[in-house]
Amino acid sequence: MTNALLSVRDLKVSFPSETGTVDAVRGISFDLEAGRTLGIVGESGSGKSVTSLAIMGLLDENVRVSGSITFDGQELLGKSDKQLSAIRGNGLAMIFQDPLSSLTPVFSIGDQLIEALTVHRKLSKRAAWARAVELLETVGLPNPEGRMKSFPHEFSGGMRQRVVIAIAMANKPKLIIADEPTTALDVTIQAQILDLIAKAQSETGAAVIMITHDMGVVAKTADDVLVMYAGKPVEKAPVHELFHRTRMPYSIGLLGAIPRVDKAEKQPLIPVKGNPPLLINLPDACPFATRCPIAIDACHTREPDLVSVDNDEVGEHKTACIRSHEITDGGLIDGHPVFPVPDIPERALAGVPREDRPVTLEVRNLTKTFPLMKGAFLKRKVGEVHAIRGISFDIREGETMAIVGESGCGKTTTLLQIMDLVEQVDGDILLGGTSVADVRGGHAERTLRRDIQIVFQDPMGALDPRMTVADIIAEPLRAIGTKKAGSETRVDELMDLVGLDPTHSNRFPSAFSGGQRQRIGIARALATSPKIVVLDEPVSALDVSIQAGVINLLDELKAKLGLSYLFVAHDLSVVRHIADRVAVMYLGAFVEHGSVDEIFEDPQHPYTQALLSAIPIPDPDVERTRERIVLSGDLASATDQVGGCSFASRCQLFKVLPPEKQARCLGEVPPLTGPENAHRNACHFR
Amino acid sequence: MIVVATNLTYFLAWGFLDPRNNYVGRRPPLSEEQVVQLLQPRNLSDTVPLLERWWSWFSAIIFGWDWGVSPVGQSVNDQVAYRMWVSAELVLGATILATVLGIALGVYTASRQYKIADRIGQATSIVTMNINIVVAALGIVLLAIGFNNMVGTTVFFVTGSSSLGVTGFFPIIIDALQHLILPTIALVIIGYAGTHFLQRSLLLDNINADYVRTARAKGLTKAQAIRKHALRTSLIPVATQVAFTIPTVFMGAILTESIFGWNGMGRYFLETIAKNDIHGTVAIAAFGAVLTAIGALLADIAVVVLDPRVRVS
Repeated sequence: MTNALLSVRDLKVSFPSETGTVDAVRGISFDLEAGRTLGIVGESGSGKSVTSLAIMGLLDENVRVSGSITFDGQELLGKSDKQLSAIRGNGLAMIFQDPLSSLTPVFSIGDQLIEALTVHRKLSKRAAWARAVELLETVGLPNPEGRMKSFPHEFSGGMRQRVVIAIAMANKPKLIIADEPTTALDVTIQAQILDLIAKAQSETGAAVIMITHDMGVVAKTADDVLVMYAGKPVEKAPVHELFHRTRMPYSIGLLGAIPRVDKAEKQPLIPVKGNPPLLINLPDACPFATRCPIAIDACHTREPDLVSVDNDEVGEHKTACIRSHEITDGGLIDGHPVFPVPDIPERALAGVPREDRPVTLEVRNLTKTFPLMKGAFLKRKVGEVHAIRGISFDIREGETMAIVGESGCGKTTTLLQIMDLVEQVDGDILLGGTSVADVRGGHAERTLRRDIQIVFQDPMGALDPRMTVADIIAEPLRAIGTKKAGSETRVDELMDLVGLDPTHSNRFPSAFSGGQRQRIGIARALATSPKIVVLDEPVSALDVSIQAGVINLLDELKAKLGLSYLFVAHDLSVVRHIADRVAVMYLGAFVEHGSVDEIFEDPQHPYTQALLSAIPIPDPDVERTRERIVLSGDLASATDQVGGCSFASRCQLFKVLPPEKQARCLGEVPPLTGPENAHRNACHFR
Repeated sequence: MIVVATNLTYFLAWGFLDPRNNYVGRRPPLSEEQVVQLLQPRNLSDTVPLLERWWSWFSAIIFGWDWGVSPVGQSVNDQVAYRMWVSAELVLGATILATVLGIALGVYTASRQYKIADRIGQATSIVTMNINIVVAALGIVLLAIGFNNMVGTTVFFVTGSSSLGVTGFFPIIIDALQHLILPTIALVIIGYAGTHFLQRSLLLDNINADYVRTARAKGLTKAQAIRKHALRTSLIPVATQVAFTIPTVFMGAILTESIFGWNGMGRYFLETIAKNDIHGTVAIAAFGAVLTAIGALLADIAVVVLDPRVRVS
């Protein structure tokens, strides 16, 4: 019918499960032309990955797929595994989410790349090798010839993802499906990889399906966007149209729930209430109706089809919402926002200047080194890993201090050192004025520990599945010796505080969703009425619509209880939203430290600048026009004791400096300089 | 380690076994002097202090590779040298066959998880795994005798490891195979199931791994992806396990050897203990220790061959 490269018609995927047939994809249709990029967005369980696997024919055999997938004039559904494997990797390539597990650990990079070439074409050994080296060079691996014999475990995540992209590009495919290609990577690496996918696309002229949950990535890469919810597309539009003239309440909710790194004013995020439905025996109603603030009776009687909205813009804009035509630009309906903005109580301490507030946590010259051992029988020390190279900061009452940086920079080690109350050789940790060096004996330590509690990243793994929620929350209370009767009322109080129903306290964690479990984790941390709560990536495992609710809760608790937070995150948008002060960490040391607005509005250290410019902003106009600094290479190793600035090897400023100034970067460790408590950075020339 | 273990066994053997007992029931009873006279030249008399006995035994091994003699004067060296090959003939073939069969079945059933072929394969393996070697061996013997009677000539020999008076290269090989085939089948039947289950479950862990999906996305068919990418990683633990079972099967085929009348190491082990043959027992212990070391070495070699990550570091 059209000259579309890929056309999907009424694709449905369902698979059996213990509770019944799960309809993972319930009818999706789209066309994709060569050279264009289709972004598919949605939360986990919305069916976006299943769609991509259905196109690739990589679903399990017990999965029922119906509809039609035409690729390059051929119908893919109904082909045998053997017939499909002639197309897979040849015309149709895929980039997977987790680069750490998507390469076979026991084969070398070269072997895996050559296999991708020779499985489709007869090539001499030499020709295949040469082509593989060429591919590795295209994806920007340094020293490709030497890297051919390396094994995946010798590579970092970003480098492995480059190899996966090289494998995908190997046979000049006509369609590349990228399934969350950057979700597992740091922002600076994410920027590199997204650029690389764009390069692969321009070199091969391929069409790309970009599957992601990150609206920023969509804004950066996609031409057309398909928003999926509960296995069905709910809105489909060209990218500008979607971001500026959003018509479906769910898409509006998704966009409103994301904290923006480029917005200074602190208004609460707008969470989408509730959870996505289970895809088993769905009734004939709008699946979003139960979470939708503007649902009317008609929404519950019939599931709306995906129909065109009367728009005069170029391109087709379709939504699956019966009230779409009532919604106007900016997410307004009858002049009011679709999603009511929640109230966040004003902070009691907001009026008190920082200097007048008591210090709750002070860290002076925190260091941590791990010995590096070698040898099979007799271990001998061959070096040291400098995980933390002397950092100092303080947190005042009612304040949020955020530490940001790439993985491996020492953020988590810092938290663990503080949580373990580790006595420092040449520094100190003070909790509410008490030095950990003065703490002797179990009782004193337990008293001190009451004041500091932690919330972990993974809400699934952090809760004992065999304990009821009441037991989990009461455990810290019991540890400090609260009587049973007292702890019961406190558990109810805490559950109420974090927005959970206290009558559910006798349930097990498995009965709760991810967002609710994170709330349980927060309630447990608050049980002992701590002064400071340490948050280790508390929202990174959650979907955006859920994440917004948890962030709002944290804001609310801070205001109500006057808590201080020590917040560790790699998502700078979240940090911008929640933090008062920010420290940027690179290889175990702070390179910039100051108030949140100072850092985000006026980043001084080259690393901070690069980090900030790497974050995709969920607005296609802003995202596609701004200048960005793309860092080269990966995080350097923390084993080398660098004589100068540890960032010099990747620094964009270093490259343009005259040689005599470069010598200073390499020869002299830059200290944190600048006005105390306001904005300090560790760069010689800033 | 082997030296220490062997010497320790020497003293332990002296603690439990007494060659003198061999002569207790003799009619007419032997006098004390006669017993000592019999035992002393064989370095088995307890009239000589233990340390002195140990030293003459140990020095003979070190300087002359002489592992001593049994109470009746047979050379331990000769016995072990002969029986070792008999056992090897029986056990190595069976182990290799059982391993190959187990791995092949493991791959076949894992690729067809919960389908009819998988169910049948699993059920069969559960049954064979639980058959006692005595039952399996006797059953096979009965079948073979039935077959021999039906054909009219002796195709399968049910006892012994070789016939007397066979000469020539090919006749000897054919004769050996005729003897070998029944005990090998018996050992394979009871031995393969363990490998099958291990391989199946390990492969199932790997079959849904992301890198197998990547391999399929490259254009390999599902079967190719499993054979090349999933199998390699899941073979590592299987190879280790099989390598470590070698000493056990070598020494542990006692019942098979007895039923089929093979004079292998397993039977020798029983005999030495029954006859208070201290030197023989110690030699077997040393042999077992060497086999364990070889097994460990083979396991390491297998891991290095299969897993290049070990080689790099």
